[in-house]
Amino acid sequence: MLSVKNLKVEIAGIEVLRNVSFTLEAGKATVLIGRNGAGKTTTLRAIMGLLPSKGGSVQIDGSELMTQPAYARAGLGIGYAPEDRRLISDFSVEENILVPALALKMPMAERRRKLDEIFTLLPQLTTLRSRPGGGVSGGQGKIVALGRALMVAEKVLLLDEPFQGLAPALALEYARTLATLHDKKRDIAILVTESSPNLLKAIAEQTLHIERGALHDVVV
Amino acid sequence: MVSTLIPLFVDALANAAIIFFVAFGLTLAFSVLRVLNVAHGSLYSIGAYVAASFGLWIISAGLNPWLTFPALLLSAAFVAALFGPLIEMTLVRWTYGRGEAVQILVTFALFLILEDLQRLVFGVSSLYADTPMALLGISEIGGIIYLNYQLLLIAIAAVALFGTRLFIRHTRTGRLLAVVVADREVSEAMGINTRRIFTLAFTLGVFLAALGGAMATPTMGVAPGLGADTMVLAFAVAAIGGLGQIEGAALAAIIVALVRVLAIYYVPELDAVAPYIVMLLVLLVRPYGLFGKPPVRRI
Repeated sequence: MLSVKNLKVEIAGIEVLRNVSFTLEAGKATVLIGRNGAGKTTTLRAIMGLLPSKGGSVQIDGSELMTQPAYARAGLGIGYAPEDRRLISDFSVEENILVPALALKMPMAERRRKLDEIFTLLPQLTTLRSRPGGGVSGGQGKIVALGRALMVAEKVLLLDEPFQGLAPALALEYARTLATLHDKKRDIAILVTESSPNLLKAIAEQTLHIERGALHDVVV
Repeated sequence: MVSTLIPLFVDALANAAIIFFVAFGLTLAFSVLRVLNVAHGSLYSIGAYVAASFGLWIISAGLNPWLTFPALLLSAAFVAALFGPLIEMTLVRWTYGRGEAVQILVTFALFLILEDLQRLVFGVSSLYADTPMALLGISEIGGIIYLNYQLLLIAIAAVALFGTRLFIRHTRTGRLLAVVVADREVSEAMGINTRRIFTLAFTLGVFLAALGGAMATPTMGVAPGLGADTMVLAFAVAAIGGLGQIEGAALAAIIVALVRVLAIYYVPELDAVAPYIVMLLVLLVRPYGLFGKPPVRRI
């Protein structure tokens, strides 16, 4: 579904991604594991077109993403939740989730259907709907960012370190939510980055290890 | 006492309305593009020149003089449509990500070009096109005489302020604009074509500057150098209000205009520096302006 081939990224002349290649399949969850600074966030940002890449290709169902502007990703069915949540603080939680729908001019009926689906998948959000984005806790914010990504994630869902900074109980809850999501939405490919593999063991069908900007088959 | 103060107050508000439009455009474009457009004042004076020329043409062609009112609006729209997309898509777009010094140099160069362009097109002698003000006349309320045109200016500024709030709050484009202001990168990731929003915001900024210039023409002569004066004043107002703050710009415009009018009345020698004294005092106490918030540091 989504294939990354020889992706290269340089920041200030230093190679931070070296020939990264992998494939995400529909209905499968992939975990990208690596230490801080190994290149996990950079990989996701490069796929999203938020960083200029030095070479390589990213294709979704055979069509090249690297030649398209960053904003085209959402319309192609790629949902992304950045590591630091990045909610709009003076928009309500529901408005935050609806931002991609607004950007893509989604018809009202579809908007409502997706919103219902998201609230069913993430029941924690129901009581937060009208709370401002700046007024939810870090853990709640992660769920909101997940909901916002689901608004467009018809094909691929990219989650950047969703467990980072979560209290153990919340992390467990998030992992359970992710497992449910994985069960119910069998048509989307999920990529989650993480620094430790423990929480995602249950759902990961593919595990990738990244170190100093390159993928390794075996844990070093 | 009251009978002298009230006309001063109305005068100040009418001036504030004009400055507000220019500072509003500056602050709007800045909050979306993060580029401080030094040439913004030139677009104000171009708006003034186009409106004055158009107004004078309407009169000399023997058309209905009331047509000079829609001519003010049309002139601003014309300047915005001509210069907004052109400048943003070429010069300003080139400066994105190149640092503030480059942005200021490039827009300053643009300012110099536009100033000379105006001399080339409109000449150096002053234009006077006060038909709209003459048509509206005066009203006398409680023994105090008001220029109706000034009251109209104040009303239009108020409508623009509240209209913008409604636009940002209740339209799709307005909402997307707010998202881009809050977080550019997330906007892209969520499917917003930020380039289009940039062009739109910049053009809207040009429109507001040109509208300020057009609406000022009936109250003054249009002459070279107008752009530079207005630019510095609009920048002071935007800084006092807090860069990116629309309500802040409105309040700051009123404060600056009031201080200026009071200075002219009581200490005329301080007329020119009064706005900057206010700016200095405000920024000493609140470095991000009256409504500005210091950037949140994320850990």
